Amino acid sequence: MTAYIIRRLLTVIPITLGVLLLVFFIYRVIGGDPAARLAGKNATPQKIEQIRKQYGFDKPKFFNWQEAAKTGSPAAAFDSQFWHLVGQFAQLDFGKSLQSNQRISRMLADGVVPSLCVTTPIFLVELSVAIALALICAFYRGTRIDRTFVVVSIVAMSISGLVYIMMGQYFFAFRLRWFPVWGFESPAFLLLPVAIGVIAGIGGSLRFYRTIMLDEMYQDYVRTAFAKGCSQREVLFKHVLKNAAIPILTNVVVAIPFLYTGSLMLESFFGIPGLGRMTVDAIYTGDEPVLFAMVFIGSVIFVIANLVTDLLYTWADPRIRLQ
Amino acid sequence: MTATAANSAALAAKPQTLWSTAWRQFRRNRLAAACLWIIVIYVGIWLYAESVYWTAYLRDVVPSYKVTDFDARNAAPSLRHWLGTDFTGRDNVAQLIQGVRIAFEIAILSSAILIPLGFLLGALAGYFGRWVDNAIIWLYSVVDSVPSILSIISISYVVGRGMKGIVIGMGLVAWVGLCRLIRGEYLKHKQRAYVAAARALGAGHLTVMLRHIAPNVLHIVIITFTLLFPRFILTEVILSYLGVGIANEPSWGVMINDAKQRLWLGVWWELGGATAAMFFLVLALNIVGDALRDALDPKLKTAEGSAT
Amino acid sequence: MENTNQTLLDVRDLRISFFTDEGEVRAVDGISFSMKPGETLAVVGESGSGKSVTAMALTRLVPSPPARYLGGEIIFKGRDTLKLSPEELRRVRGAQISYIFQEPSTSLNPVFQIRSQIAEAIELHRRDVKDVDAEAERLLTLVGIRDARLRMGDYPHQLSGGMQQRVMIAMALACNPSLLVADEPTTALDVTIQAQIMELLKELKQKLGMAIMLITHNFSIVADIADNIAVMFRGKIVEYGPTQRVLHEPQHPYTKALLECIPRLGAHKHRLKTINHAEIEAALGR
Repeated sequence: MTAYIIRRLLTVIPITLGVLLLVFFIYRVIGGDPAARLAGKNATPQKIEQIRKQYGFDKPKFFNWQEAAKTGSPAAAFDSQFWHLVGQFAQLDFGKSLQSNQRISRMLADGVVPSLCVTTPIFLVELSVAIALALICAFYRGTRIDRTFVVVSIVAMSISGLVYIMMGQYFFAFRLRWFPVWGFESPAFLLLPVAIGVIAGIGGSLRFYRTIMLDEMYQDYVRTAFAKGCSQREVLFKHVLKNAAIPILTNVVVAIPFLYTGSLMLESFFGIPGLGRMTVDAIYTGDEPVLFAMVFIGSVIFVIANLVTDLLYTWADPRIRLQ
Repeated sequence: MTATAANSAALAAKPQTLWSTAWRQFRRNRLAAACLWIIVIYVGIWLYAESVYWTAYLRDVVPSYKVTDFDARNAAPSLRHWLGTDFTGRDNVAQLIQGVRIAFEIAILSSAILIPLGFLLGALAGYFGRWVDNAIIWLYSVVDSVPSILSIISISYVVGRGMKGIVIGMGLVAWVGLCRLIRGEYLKHKQRAYVAAARALGAGHLTVMLRHIAPNVLHIVIITFTLLFPRFILTEVILSYLGVGIANEPSWGVMINDAKQRLWLGVWWELGGATAAMFFLVLALNIVGDALRDALDPKLKTAEGSAT
Repeated sequence: MENTNQTLLDVRDLRISFFTDEGEVRAVDGISFSMKPGETLAVVGESGSGKSVTAMALTRLVPSPPARYLGGEIIFKGRDTLKLSPEELRRVRGAQISYIFQEPSTSLNPVFQIRSQIAEAIELHRRDVKDVDAEAERLLTLVGIRDARLRMGDYPHQLSGGMQQRVMIAMALACNPSLLVADEPTTALDVTIQAQIMELLKELKQKLGMAIMLITHNFSIVADIADNIAVMFRGKIVEYGPTQRVLHEPQHPYTKALLECIPRLGAHKHRLKTINHAEIEAALGR
């Protein structure tokens, strides 16, 4: 058991390194010369050269064998773009924004609170509503009520999130004036984005949780519970829910990174100064260091969330816990 | 005398293949069968749109859907323009039709990257196991750790605005799900007797992997493709919004984004048309994908849920 | 209620069908049988013969849809369970008719301790029991689990298959049922464990005097426990009578065929018979 936990903890290292490698690969290899991209379309060769020097793009990408051979020290091989990045990120230094020249770590810290203000309520409301509806579906499985929910959720999933946002903002904020259109000043400003976020996401969640519940409904232990004389309610809320809690838990923890990265479209539509909007702005302005940091941190949080899920799993499921 | 007896006699008489039973089961799902027809109609529209595009391209003229008419900008729906015109007076219906073409092109080109990639890596991992498996698991765990929307955005961004960026972005990210499923199937199949038999007859690893096992797991590719298609369409909208989408061609995402400002002026037909065109295809694909999975492999755990 | 002494269970012309897209499947096609208190009835047949559906139908445990109860009566202690309200039905399930199933490993809820699974059965029907833990311990001891107190904190996966089935039996006995339905109770178990479980059932039957309905495809385990045997084939009871008569003078070709499938020590046969369905159908005149 302890051995398993230690082994699981250690897997974080290669995965995190891999993530960094992947993000590095995207921004420094796939897209061609990063200096030319940063300099813009009409930049002079001198300007590009200057940027290349400034950001160290002139160094080898992974290993500086030349330098190592010249100086004779193996450590010099790590004088490369990738390993510099590793060293930098290990100290939580993500560089500066090209646009505002602010420290990115500062920007990340500032953006997190507004993002969480939007995403956490969406997450919690969506989770509880979806689970409640999934239980209703399981209760009425095979009947018209269940089928209606399934069809409605597929319909809801088939509409672009952008359309929900545009229509919601237009009707409820602009036309009906029920909510403020834009800004982040009081909780009232959050109501509409949260409502739209829930509606846009509920279809997918409901289907997911319904599948989990129904899978459990057809297990043998459910038959045993009925044979004992349990009522539908007792079977659902006691037997099924406790078993379903394990896959639900996984899904919940894995969703946590998205709380952090914020909602790209909601935040920029409603003017919420969170990380989602920061990312969108960075794409518009080509602020690569910000994008790089955002993608990397989003992934690291995902890796950690995954780790937590696995550890929770061992705690929640007696079949694993007691091995 | 009884239906049971008649049925079992019929069952015994006709050899049942996976595909024929699956097809029979699929057809019984009337909703899915109707949705299949919707998809067929879309395919027809797609082919028509391709012909419009290529005719104009080969004749080196401006295609009809790009013809602007500044006298009829933002025109309301009329007999001439069923869904009105956009801000440069282009016919919205013609643009929606081209949107079908873009949607199919994105889906097919992205799949042309992700299916071979996911299939091959999954097959190698499942079949060979050991370090090959470990390496591939590491690879897909890494790719899977980056929130997919962020990695698609990043790739589209660095590759540059346009079809190429979108296709490479989606192709290099979306293979993970397929790879997992194929790996699981290969793990299962390599234990089967027919594989041992093929090996005993002297078939090489490559032959066993591709000639013997692959046909048995092909249905997963089809299910995956059908279920990914709608997600490609929805993701394209987000990419267009972020400014890393299609350039110079009328995709649905571009149309929805263009409609953004004009919606507030009360011009709703552009948004409405694009939403509806997208909705029916996405819905039909979602339903057909589910039905295909239920018919071909009900136990298959495909990824569900959304990421916006 | 007056006729309790003569008949415990009287099933008359029970018909249950499943309606699928392929058409109607008659799982139970007009069967009748009856059981006296304390009697053991073995229902024998191949898989798909409708024997499990019959057993489950006694308390309407077959979910409907897809199943439809088309007709007949199930008179248990003078009342037709097909006509009971869900509320009344729950008071029969587990209390008067209780079940054990084929797969003890999946039939027990994996995330609850043994203690709480047995306690649930007690709490559902016996509100008067004060010390539920003590009662659970007594039941576990009754079914031959040693160190019952220690085992109660276990989760199902920590027990062997035989032990799991004993727990299932303990759970089924929690409310002194008048009828225990054992649906293929030994099929998923090793041969030696099978014998132990059958031995236990026999012993419990003597001790507690409940009726047992034993559902099985295996003739060899019924001989020394069953009073009567009903042989089911394609939803119908094709042979019904006292155990000795059915075993030694089978009337129906299907029964004969089934009996021939049993391997016997010392019988010099090179091959075991398989069942030729066409022959039997011909004999049935279908």
